[in-house]
Amino acid sequence: MSGSLWNRCFHQLEAEMVEQQFNTWVRPLQVVMDGSELRLFAPNRFVAEWVQQNVLPRINDLCARLTDSSSGEQIPTVSLEVGSKPQVQTSEPTAPREAGPAQIPAKSAFSMLGGRLNPEFTFSNFVEGKSNQLARAAAQQVAENPGRAYNPLFIYGGVGLGKTHLMHAVGNTIRSVRPNARIAYVHSERFVGDMVKALQHNTINEFKTAYRSLDALLIDDIQFFAGKDRSQEEFFHTFNALFEAQQQIILTCDRYPKEVDGLEDRLKSRFGWGLTVSVEPPELETSVAILMSKAALTNVNLPDEVAFFIAKRIRSNVRELEGALRRVVANAQFTGRPITLDFTKEALRDLLALQDRLVTVDNIQKTVAEYYKLRVADLLSKRRSRSIARPRQMAMAMAKELTSHSLPEIGDAFGGRDHTTVMHACRVIKDLRETDIRSREDYSNLLRTLTG
Amino acid sequence: MASNRDVLRQIPLPIQLRPGSVFSSYYAGANHEALSVLQNLTGTGPNPVIFLTGISGTGKTHLLQAACVAASDQAQQACYLPLRELHHYGPELLQGTEHMNLVCLDDVSHILHQPDWSRALFNLYREMEEKGGKLLLADAQAPVALTIALPDLASRILAGAILRLQPLDELAQTEALQLHARLRGLILPDDVLNYILRRLPRDMHTLCGFLDDMDIASLSSQRKLTVPFVKQVLLEAGTTA
Repeated sequence: MSGSLWNRCFHQLEAEMVEQQFNTWVRPLQVVMDGSELRLFAPNRFVAEWVQQNVLPRINDLCARLTDSSSGEQIPTVSLEVGSKPQVQTSEPTAPREAGPAQIPAKSAFSMLGGRLNPEFTFSNFVEGKSNQLARAAAQQVAENPGRAYNPLFIYGGVGLGKTHLMHAVGNTIRSVRPNARIAYVHSERFVGDMVKALQHNTINEFKTAYRSLDALLIDDIQFFAGKDRSQEEFFHTFNALFEAQQQIILTCDRYPKEVDGLEDRLKSRFGWGLTVSVEPPELETSVAILMSKAALTNVNLPDEVAFFIAKRIRSNVRELEGALRRVVANAQFTGRPITLDFTKEALRDLLALQDRLVTVDNIQKTVAEYYKLRVADLLSKRRSRSIARPRQMAMAMAKELTSHSLPEIGDAFGGRDHTTVMHACRVIKDLRETDIRSREDYSNLLRTLTG
Repeated sequence: MASNRDVLRQIPLPIQLRPGSVFSSYYAGANHEALSVLQNLTGTGPNPVIFLTGISGTGKTHLLQAACVAASDQAQQACYLPLRELHHYGPELLQGTEHMNLVCLDDVSHILHQPDWSRALFNLYREMEEKGGKLLLADAQAPVALTIALPDLASRILAGAILRLQPLDELAQTEALQLHARLRGLILPDDVLNYILRRLPRDMHTLCGFLDDMDIASLSSQRKLTVPFVKQVLLEAGTTA
């Protein structure tokens, strides 16, 4: 009943206000009727300020007018604050959570740890290929022998290649053997955010205890720690505590630990104490295998030619590959048409047409690295040996040729180099193409690959 | 009293009588699939992002707001943020939205190229993924054509559902206009419709905006929509060729 007065106000405001303003500023308000007080909660200060300045008087007015005093309603006082409405106490997970009988002494502290293991990510649905073989084998070893095999396990590579999947797979395997194991999956941004909150709320000791008493800690995307000194300091101690207690630590990152700028050296060196493995973009065969396996899981008949077509066109990462498959399947289910090559081309038209046109620096770096059998990280590194410098110059020249980025932007994208380095690279490649057959061939092969 | 219409025009009440941007007032035309996906957002799988793209006037803003209304109707928390207007607030604008079931962000090209916004949106994505919320993004540019400052976010957006809204063809457009006129309680005769379509830019923004103008003009002067009357409204608005 308490919501009904607000409902009446809400609908009246909806009718009176400009629709867009209503949806932006009034719709997100949460409301609690607290005795004779109508408490409004705005998600942030901007919403609160706007409501305060523009509609609060009207809300007061409407409350007075729409209160049904004949049924005993009283005109409420209206308050406005930033935040979300207090959770009802009974919503605490008390009753249904009987599964783990008093297994964790520091339960309240443990519940501070954000993120849960995703049961969808297992070893059995991780499709293996040359590009991720080593990482998968290492993760499997760690899962079977946590804290002993390789500690920490450091998995690095580009976005959407399965780092997080492997990490969760390890966690899920450990949990299947030891259901009571305290395992935390935490994105590094979340670690930072939770730590800041703990400092604000004076619960930093509980925060420390929660992390340091884990059986396994999985930290995703540690490149986001860069430049956050206080968090690095805290993480350093957490790392040491877990390491000494032989508890498993798994870290993922978008690049090799030494290449992460803004990360303390003592952390970098610790990250290398265990095993460092990379995941690379999948080769064509692995991509096809991934598509086939995902299609089979959803009972979809995916013709070979369609799988090859999608795999050839979406090369850079597995997440997008799977996204493309989902799109084709969803389209087929909606229209009731069979998945043929033509149908697929139509369903992925946006994605593919634009891929043809859109050559990004990222894409160039991946393609060039793959062509010369290097890692993208090598191209971005400070190393200057010819076997790396030449491909790097080739990639820079391609970037100048095929994108509209400025030279300083290109230099930046190659590990923060100066634009004069890019100019030099372009001159070198231009000369080489005139004098060296091999370079000329490389250039035209790469150009063909990149521009389809 | 009101016998002399030229002198005493009625002043329409500042209350919108049209039903606003809800799913039932969206003329889908060839966009049935997109509409059906948006009406059943929970069916879009574990990826929280749904990206709505299409040229101006295809109804992105309408659908985003309709999704908000539908969420509210199901007692869910939702908000709509038009970023062309609000991007200057900075990424703090997203604070607190992680508790919502649906966050609709319009014109995202205004923020995605900015590292701090990209990062804030990536964080929101992760929160939504964990809690089962949905992020509905829209822009005239398709996600592959957008500059997205954070690769982690880019790859997640590209892997999500991407719905392209097709512009309405001529026939569909006349039907859509008739629907919008009906929803405003206007009777739009064919000759008036053809007159408008021949004289105004044929995008739905302009056409619906003109319907609003005619709605007000017809109310205030208490006249039906006829070609001479519409001609006069156009002349007054100074938009006629």
